Amino acid sequence: MLHWLRPKSPLIKANRNYFSGFDRKKPLKDYSFVVFDTELTGLGSRRGEIISIGAVRIENLQIDLGATYHSYVRPRRMKHTTATLIHRITPEELKNAPEMEEVLPAFLEFLGNSLIVGHCIDIDMKFLDKICRKLCGGTVANPTIDTMRLARGYQGKLSGWYHDHGSVDSGYNLRTVSQKFHLPVFTEHDALGDAMQTAYLFLYLVKKFRSGGLETLLDLYQAGKAGKWAGEV
Amino acid sequence: MVGKKGTSEHEVVTGPHAVAPEVIVSFLKTIMPFKILSDAELNNLGNHCRIDFFPKGARLMTVDETVITHLYLIQRGGVKAFLIDAKGEEVLKDYRGEGAYIGALGIIRGTRANLNIETIEDTFCFLLPREVFLDLVKNNLAFSHFYLKSFSDQVVSTAYRELRHQKVSMRPAEELYLFTITAGDLAKPVEKMSVKSRIQEVAQQMARLKIGSMLLYDPENEEDIVGIITDTDLRTKVVATGMDYHKPVENIMTMPVHSVLSEEICFEVLLKMMAIGIRHLAVEKGGRIIGVLTSHDIMVLQGSSPFYLFKEINKQRKMQGIYPIVSKVPGIIRNLIREGGKAGSISRMISLLHDQVVRRVLSLLEAEMGEPPVPYCWLLLGSEGRREQTFLTDQDNGIIYADPFSPTQKQQTEAYFQEFGTRAIQHLTKCGYPLCPGEVMSSNPRWCQPFSVWQQYFTSWANDSKPEELLDATIFFDFRAGFGDEKLAVSLRNHLIDILPGQEHFFYQLARNCLANKVPLSFFRNFIVERNGEHKNRLDVKLRGLVPIVGFARLFALKHGLKETNTIARLEALQGEGYLPMDLCTAAIKAYELQMQLRIVHQLEQIEMQQAPDNYIEPQNLTSTERAMLKDAFEVIEKLQALLERKFGIS
Repeated sequence: MLHWLRPKSPLIKANRNYFSGFDRKKPLKDYSFVVFDTELTGLGSRRGEIISIGAVRIENLQIDLGATYHSYVRPRRMKHTTATLIHRITPEELKNAPEMEEVLPAFLEFLGNSLIVGHCIDIDMKFLDKICRKLCGGTVANPTIDTMRLARGYQGKLSGWYHDHGSVDSGYNLRTVSQKFHLPVFTEHDALGDAMQTAYLFLYLVKKFRSGGLETLLDLYQAGKAGKWAGEV
Repeated sequence: MVGKKGTSEHEVVTGPHAVAPEVIVSFLKTIMPFKILSDAELNNLGNHCRIDFFPKGARLMTVDETVITHLYLIQRGGVKAFLIDAKGEEVLKDYRGEGAYIGALGIIRGTRANLNIETIEDTFCFLLPREVFLDLVKNNLAFSHFYLKSFSDQVVSTAYRELRHQKVSMRPAEELYLFTITAGDLAKPVEKMSVKSRIQEVAQQMARLKIGSMLLYDPENEEDIVGIITDTDLRTKVVATGMDYHKPVENIMTMPVHSVLSEEICFEVLLKMMAIGIRHLAVEKGGRIIGVLTSHDIMVLQGSSPFYLFKEINKQRKMQGIYPIVSKVPGIIRNLIREGGKAGSISRMISLLHDQVVRRVLSLLEAEMGEPPVPYCWLLLGSEGRREQTFLTDQDNGIIYADPFSPTQKQQTEAYFQEFGTRAIQHLTKCGYPLCPGEVMSSNPRWCQPFSVWQQYFTSWANDSKPEELLDATIFFDFRAGFGDEKLAVSLRNHLIDILPGQEHFFYQLARNCLANKVPLSFFRNFIVERNGEHKNRLDVKLRGLVPIVGFARLFALKHGLKETNTIARLEALQGEGYLPMDLCTAAIKAYELQMQLRIVHQLEQIEMQQAPDNYIEPQNLTSTERAMLKDAFEVIEKLQALLERKFGIS
C-alpha cells in the first residue's frame, strides 16, 4: 500500500493540532519530556527495523521512576544480524514479542504531548517517522531535543567555542559523554538502559546549563541548537 | 532494566503494580534500612521515586525555612550539612555521601530543615515523597526503629554485617534510654495560665520562663487543662496573620491537648508524637496533668545527635550541668559509626564536642573568677591539638598569656592564671577527662606561662635538645587554640615557623624518633604483632600504626612551615604543595584512617563491655578484608620510614 495516501489517524491529527499552537517560552520545568531510545536490526533505513523501544518520562525536570516504558518488537524479517548480537536480545525473545502494529499505539500514547529527548535523536526519529507514516498515515510533531548536540554545546561553552557545531564524532557517544561527566552508568545497548542514561545526561546538561541562565525551552535550543522545532518536521 | 524484561514482553509501566526500574530497586537493596524490605515493597517504593540532579554548590535545604517534601537518597555525589553561627561563619556539621539520606529527621518530627544542606559535588538523588516515607516509618516497625536509633535485631544484624562495624556489640535493650525512661521521668513541670489570658501576657510569661509551650486551663477549674499554645502557634496564628495580641489566648490555642500516661516509655511517646504529627504532649498521672514533654527532650536524652548534644553543652549555666554530658559522647560516636562515618570525620566530631566542653567550662570559670587581667589562650596539645581524639584521651593542655607590663601586674597575673588553671583542670577531671600522667596541664606552673616564656621553650627545643627530651616535647608542636585569644597561639605558631628553617639537627632527631618504633615484630598468621609480654600476639595499633604516620606528617609539616596540626590535613597540605609524592600521601591518609577506624571501633566495644579502652587489637577478631587492608597499611608505613632514612641519612 502507498502509505502517503493513507489517511492520517485521529491520534496523529490531534498531535499535530496540539503542537501547531505550541508555546516555547515557558520555564523548562513546566514541560513534560519523554526520553527514548530504540534498538535496531541494522542502521540502513531501508532494511533496518526497530526491535525494542525504551522510554523514560521527565516531569518538573525530575525523572519519574513510576513512568517508564519498554517493549520488544517482533521484526518482519527474523535474522541473526550483527545488531541483535550487540543488543544481546535472543531470537526467542523477539519471536514472542508483539508486532509493531500493537506496540506503536501504546508507545504513542506514552509519548503524548511530551517533548522528545534522545541521544542522536535524528536516527531514532527517522525510524519512528517511517513506521508512523506507514501505520498511522503521518508523523508526530513533538519537538525533539538532541542530547548529543546539547553536550557539544555545553562542552563548547566550557572550552570557549560557543557556536561551533562540527560533524558527529565518536567523542560524543552516549557512554563516553556520560563517563566524561561522571554520571552513573547503565547497561549499554538496552533500550531502557540507554533511555535512562540519556535522561541522566539530559538532567545534567540542562541543570549545568541553567546556572548559565537557561530558563526556557527557547534558551535551550539557542544554547545547543539542540534539535528540531515543532512544525519543522 | 533487565528485571523488567523478565516479567512481560511489552508494557507501559505506569500503573500502581508496575515494575520499578532496576536502578532504584538495586540501589535501595544496598542501603539501610531499605534493604530489609521485601522485593515487592521495594518495587512499590521505586515507583514513587523520582531522580533529581543538583549541580555542585546547589542549596537543597535551609535551616528553619525548607519544608521537607521528600526524603533524599544520594545516588552519586555528596553534600555538606552546616549551620551559620552568630558571627555569620559557617560551622560544618557533617558530610554525607553516596547511600546516605537527607531529611529523615525533619520528616519524622514534622519540622522544617534543621541543617543547611549544600552539594559539594555534582549530585544525583532519588527523591521519596514524604507521605510514602512516613507510611513506612509508621507501619514498618523495623524501619522506624532504624530512624529512631533503636535496635531491632534484624536491622542491627543486617547493618553490622554489611557495614564492617560488627564488633560494636549490641547493648542490652534494658540499658537503652528509649526503653527504660518513662514520660514521667522526663516531663518538665507544668506551666499553665487561664484560657482567658491575653495572647501577649502568655507570650511574655513563656519568654520569662524560657519555655516553648504553655498549658491553658478553664478559669472555672485550674485542673481542667483545655488547650495548649506553642511558639509555632504564636508565629503562625498571631504574627503571621497580624492578629490583635490583646485577644484572649483561647482564640489561637490548640485543643484538645494530647497526653500520654506518665509510666509510658519514651519510645511509645515518640511513636505517638509521630503518629499525631505534634511535638508537645502533656503527661498525665492519676487523671491529672503533671507536665509537658517535647520530642526535643527525648532526642537529647537519647543522646543520638551530635548537634543536640552540642546545644546541650552550650545551654549549661552551671558546672555541675556539664559534668554528666561528656559521658554521652560514646553513645553519639556509636551512632556515627553505625551510620558508616569515617574515622576522620568521627574524630573531628569528638573534637568538636570536647572543644565545646572546654569552652563552656572556661567561660563559666571566667564568670566565676572575674575577668582575666591580661588576654590569654588555652592551648590544646597532642591529640587534642591535632583534633584526633578518640574516647576520653588524657588532658594535654597549657595556658599562654600576654606578657604583663609591670612587676605588680606580673605577680597578680601569675596568681590569677595559676588559680584559673588549677580550677579548670579540676572541673575537666570531674567531666571525666583523665589527668595527664606527665603533668602536661595548665595546673602545672611550667605550662602556664606568658608568651615570652613559651617562645623560649620552643626556641630551646629547636636549638639543642637531646632525643629523649624531644620525644617528650613532640606533643607541644601540635598545639592549637582551644579558648580565649587566638592571636597568642597564632603568634606562637609564627615564631615556631620563623625559627625552624635550617635546624637540621632538630629534624634529624625527629626523624630518628619516628624510626624508633621499628622494633622487630613477629608475624603471627601473616600479621605483625607484639612478640612478648602481656599483649603477646596482639597489635598495638596506636604505637605501631598511628604514631609513625603522625610523626611523619608532623616532621614534614614543620619542615615546610605548614600551620596545620591535624595529620590528614598535614598530609593533604604536603601533597597539595608538592612537597611529597601524591600517591604516597594518599596511601598514608588511607592507612591512617583505616587504623583510626579500627581503634575507635575497638575502644567503643570495650567501653560498652565496661572495660577501660586500650589500643590492643587481636588480629583473629578482624575480618579477612580488614586484615588485608591492615597489611597494606603496614607496607605504607615501611615506605614512609624508608623515605625518612633516605632523606636524613639514617641507617
